[in-house]
Amino acid sequence: MDKYYLLLGIVLVFIGILGIIIRKNLITMLVATEIMLNGVNISLVSVSHFLGKVDAQVMSIIVLTVAASEVAIGLGLVVSIFRLKGYEASEEITELRD
Amino acid sequence: MELLVFVIISAIAIVSALGAILVKSPIHVMVWFLGFILSVAASFFALKADLLAGLQLVIYAVAIVVFYVLVITTIPWEKVKMFEGFYKKEFVFALPAFLFTIGASIYLVISSRFSNLRQPLPKDNVSALGTVLFTKYIAPFELASFILLIAMIGAIIFGKEKANG
Repeated sequence: MDKYYLLLGIVLVFIGILGIIIRKNLITMLVATEIMLNGVNISLVSVSHFLGKVDAQVMSIIVLTVAASEVAIGLGLVVSIFRLKGYEASEEITELRD
Repeated sequence: MELLVFVIISAIAIVSALGAILVKSPIHVMVWFLGFILSVAASFFALKADLLAGLQLVIYAVAIVVFYVLVITTIPWEKVKMFEGFYKKEFVFALPAFLFTIGASIYLVISSRFSNLRQPLPKDNVSALGTVLFTKYIAPFELASFILLIAMIGAIIFGKEKANG
């Protein structure tokens, strides 16, 4: 049974990678990153259920922390890019500063 | 029964994750993402990780989703040039690789045998997790608080730049 949850986590990580490759919108790319982090969390928790130890859940809590700080920094950057340049597609951000 | 629960949870999770990366408008993306988060919390409950399921609901479904919606609604969309589409050529080339890697990993996981040291999880998930978190993993826990502090300082600096410019 835990194998199937591990598979679910792997499939979610690949869906997140596909979203990062194909989308133009920066906010949607951040959401795809969140999907990848959640896939990793499901894999960690399924391994924890498989082994009967709670150590993997501690790592999953740390992944949650990283996700929270990633959202704060990432959305701050996205809003700064919007204010500064007035566009939001990932293909148009080609220079670090003018 | 377990298989039925897994099928329902994984169907909701995969469909809503695909919806979140394929739908055009950012607000609709957030609705699909909320469904995805709830299904992930349900899978944590099914795997007997109660504390993590609660944290998932509190942190993701409340804090992070509300933060995204707040940012999306404060951006002046009439001044911003909007790009909602896909990279079509990249999509065409990425889809076969995507399907191949998923097929390969399904084959690998199904055909492999995991080591068989199955012990039951401790009954009280919260107290077991707290004990491990505050004894064995105290250094990574403190490091996590440091990461949050740095993220807070960074967010404040971005906000100040906007106020000056």
